[in-house]
Amino acid sequence: MTGEPLLRARDLVKEFPVAGTARLLLPAKKFTAVDAVSFDLYAGRTLALVGESGSGKSTTARLAARLIDVTSGTVHLDGRDITALRGRDLREVRRAVQMVFQDPFSSLNPRHTVERIVTAPLVYQKRPVPGGTRRFAQSLMERVGLEPEHVDRYPSQFSGGQAQRIGIARAIAIGPRVLVCDEAVSALDVSVQAQIINLLRGLQREEGFACLFIAHDLAVVRQIATSVAVMTAGRVVEAGDRDEVFDRPQHEYTRTLLAAVPRIRPEWEAARRRNARAYAEKETAR
Amino acid sequence: MSDTLLDVRELSVSFGDVRVVDRIGFDLPRGGALGIVGESGSGKSMTSLAVMGLLPAGATRSGGIVFDGVDLTTLTERRMRAIRGDRIAMVFQDPLSSLNPYYTVGTQIAEAYRSHRSGVGRRAARKAAIEAMERVHIREAGRRVDDYPHQFSGGMRQRVMIAMALITEPELIIADEPTTALDVTVQAQILDLLAEVRRDTGAALVLITHDLAVVSAVADRVVVMHRGRVVEAGAAEQIFSDPRHEYTRGLLDAVPRIDDEIGELRGTGGDR
Repeated sequence: MTGEPLLRARDLVKEFPVAGTARLLLPAKKFTAVDAVSFDLYAGRTLALVGESGSGKSTTARLAARLIDVTSGTVHLDGRDITALRGRDLREVRRAVQMVFQDPFSSLNPRHTVERIVTAPLVYQKRPVPGGTRRFAQSLMERVGLEPEHVDRYPSQFSGGQAQRIGIARAIAIGPRVLVCDEAVSALDVSVQAQIINLLRGLQREEGFACLFIAHDLAVVRQIATSVAVMTAGRVVEAGDRDEVFDRPQHEYTRTLLAAVPRIRPEWEAARRRNARAYAEKETAR
Repeated sequence: MSDTLLDVRELSVSFGDVRVVDRIGFDLPRGGALGIVGESGSGKSMTSLAVMGLLPAGATRSGGIVFDGVDLTTLTERRMRAIRGDRIAMVFQDPLSSLNPYYTVGTQIAEAYRSHRSGVGRRAARKAAIEAMERVHIREAGRRVDDYPHQFSGGMRQRVMIAMALITEPELIIADEPTTALDVTVQAQILDLLAEVRRDTGAALVLITHDLAVVSAVADRVVVMHRGRVVEAGAAEQIFSDPRHEYTRGLLDAVPRIDDEIGELRGTGGDR
């Protein structure tokens, strides 16, 4: 990859104290959740951090988004060291880096209308809302595939997939340069999941943001990522272009992970595609 | 002895005026494996609860559920209890909420056994529990039998649940999203284990899941549910290679594939 990365993480380490191990005058034992993780994230590209539970992928995302502080290591945004920024400087980072979470309902305030939710990042940033909050909220709704008239509704009046669209609308409201999606499609039904993946791909094409996509589902990652980093036990064991990692996995763990994914039998899949084509031809012949 | 183990006819489940399962029917031969697949709100879990007679308060059930020639809907709760957990066993999604944190796993497996085998003593039940744990490949079963649920990982807890399910040698195992909460490598192990249990015991399996790939790996017959109805049913090969119903086709189109990137994923429009 040529050019400067938009987001650069180097040797990220995050240790957490283990509950109940602190003694008088003795610090608690430490658990290393993220262990020397490095990656580069480029504009218009999607890097997927994949791994099983406890692999450290979500913690890594939170470190990169500056939601939690690193134990050691550095994060650069556009060449600027943002690892230890505080206050007003950190607020500037928030303008550039937005998050979409797994459970839309727990990440949307149930007492706020959609209009208030999706314009909140601008209000928080004390920025003027172009064209007024109503018009702005309506245009955002339209962009994520929701009815603009529903801006006065509350999160509970939407389905899970629609609520996730609201979460995405809020994330893109401020025109972020980096979008961090933490298992953003994991809780959704498969047909809704497909639509949200399409939405994210389309928005990225339009906006050109870089996307850090955290997921445990390798099939989803194959659909959305341009590059992949495989994590286990806090470390990246393999990283590379998506097709390289999927088609020619080098690390034993990656191979195990890929082999474990259940697949619809390939011969059934092939037959279904043949049949679908035959039906389509019959339709057009009619 | 009839070849049909389970025959569900015109089964409906309602909450007041809302019908969440609408006159569905399917059957399962002895030793067969049926996958009931659907998205959230399809009624697949209510169907499994209805078969087991475990519907939540406020739900009403109609239709017939014939298990080995006996209509379960006509049984008293007492007689149903004698079948449930003995001839029909269950495995749920979240083993942690199905296990009691205050008792050792051995106690709970043994209790499942003793409650259906009158006259079995504590010592014999404990021995049976250890054997069941060995059959689901829990290492050092003789020692781990005295551990509590929290001392097991998610995958190991699901093995405990399967040990508990198979200890009475059931003819039918109903597994509702048994691998959904598990990591993918652990899921593969649990699916292998379920296949092994079926092979060794000849038990029939009803697998309820949202995951089409899991269904294709396990089931020989498939029922596709949508909004409380069966939209399509048939042999697994037919459903996956030549789906007839528009909904099934859309669902299969929407499944992300690990082996290639497909352009625009086609959703079934359930979102808007």
